[in-house]
Amino acid sequence: MRILLIEDDDDISGAVAAMLGRERYAVDVERDGERGLDRLLTASYALAIVDVGLPSRDGFAICRAARDEGIGTPLLILTAQDSVEQRIRGLDAGADDYLIKPFSIGELTARVRALLRRGERPPLPTRYAIGSLELDAGTRSASVAGRALELSATEYRLLEFFARERGRTLSRSQILEKIWDFDFQGSSNIVDVYVSQLRRKLAALDSTATIATAWGVGYKLVVKPPKAARSSG
Amino acid sequence: MGRRLQARRETAEGRALLRLTASYLAVFAIVIATLSVLAYTFVANTYRSIVAPALETPEGRAGFAAALRPVLAAIVTADALLLLAVGGASFALARSALSPLRRAREREERFAADAAHELRTPLGAIASMAENAELDAAEPARSVFASIARRALECGDLVGDLLTLSRASEPGALQAETLDLAIVVRHVIRDAAAAPGSLAIDASLSEAIVTGDERRLRQLIRNLLDNALAHAASRVAVTLQTNNGDACLSVEDDGPGVPADAIPRLFERFAKGSNSRGSGLGLAICRWIASAHGGEIVFAGGSRFTVRLPLATPGPAAPLS
Repeated sequence: MRILLIEDDDDISGAVAAMLGRERYAVDVERDGERGLDRLLTASYALAIVDVGLPSRDGFAICRAARDEGIGTPLLILTAQDSVEQRIRGLDAGADDYLIKPFSIGELTARVRALLRRGERPPLPTRYAIGSLELDAGTRSASVAGRALELSATEYRLLEFFARERGRTLSRSQILEKIWDFDFQGSSNIVDVYVSQLRRKLAALDSTATIATAWGVGYKLVVKPPKAARSSG
Repeated sequence: MGRRLQARRETAEGRALLRLTASYLAVFAIVIATLSVLAYTFVANTYRSIVAPALETPEGRAGFAAALRPVLAAIVTADALLLLAVGGASFALARSALSPLRRAREREERFAADAAHELRTPLGAIASMAENAELDAAEPARSVFASIARRALECGDLVGDLLTLSRASEPGALQAETLDLAIVVRHVIRDAAAAPGSLAIDASLSEAIVTGDERRLRQLIRNLLDNALAHAASRVAVTLQTNNGDACLSVEDDGPGVPADAIPRLFERFAKGSNSRGSGLGLAICRWIASAHGGEIVFAGGSRFTVRLPLATPGPAAPLS
């Protein structure tokens, strides 16, 4: 499998390439951001590892440009900065994972294996429209009839999950597993807490899309029939 | 989501700007009001002394009052215009007073980020090269390379910890969401248990819905768990219960416990016991994270640490469709 490594620090790229080579991956190293992006766009890679601080084009811009061109290759960001803003920027730019320097190469290869297992992103729609509710997966934002719906990161992910599976009833355990990575014994009411938060926010903007309860089973996203539920007016 | 953080920071700055504007305006308003009262009294007294004889009749007094009314109206109008102008000036003053502070904070942030970047990149190179060399080398060089890699990674953690504490007072340092602390604890335990040679971790966890920054809470739990695992003889116990509107998380190990001489400075920066391998920042970070969430962390004797965090207050029930 061929991996693209865009990193301008020769010591790091040399060591990472050697280590990935031991794991039987073929590695192309590129030092420059612009040229790295060209390679990513023109050749076919199973994965790209992208440093943030690069000459001519930074790692975030490379990820964003690749995603804009419809490249589904898993992208792993390497960064020397560990702030909330940086992480959000990376994920918003379309990166699948990020690793903070200094990292252990064992950790890097574990992440690489995990991303390769997951494979290319399936070409998901980037926009969903359900009744008056609209979601933009590109910018991770939501709106109701043009008015912005303020959501936390988890609320957005949950609403997008509902939107992707619209009309289908999702069980609490399905939701827990998908959104909260819950693979333990027992259960949690966190799903109900979030559903109630989302319902409140959707109702506040008079959304026609709402989360319905399927008693004893779970929840689903539906469009309200026109004359239903305007009691609070 | 970045916009949200940005917005929160701007709101905090906006509030500071408003507060400062209000205090400038209050000072100006008091000065204007005092001057106005003095002016009115002076005018009224001057008039009174001029027309003193006329004031002896009721008509005269009514005429005097009527003559003063336009004076009062003029002063009030002037005051209103002045206050408007002064309001604008106060805002401008407040903004120019705050802007060097904002620039200083931005400079500091940039410096911290730059310093971290400049340290982490070479540390990354050292760690990667040493790990790579370790695989090719024979003993004793092999274990030397392994130590170099480990120390470089520890140094990287230290840079991260320092950065965390230096940013602790910033608005937007926390990204809070509703979460089930039990799930967060389970994730940390799962990751810790996956490490080779890990000890047994007994967990007894009840659901505890809190509002918090998941990444920070993970860091808090991981620090406590790492401490416990480092000092345990064979077992670590983690319990999470709810009690009186609080989530109570306890982490305890069956090791020798915290030495008495370490207890007074347990949560201070760089205060570490002689048998501690960490940076000495772990518990200081735990204390910051707990208090930033409106909770606290206490040493409960032996080897037991207890974190108390307020449970999320449930919002009004959502209408069921």
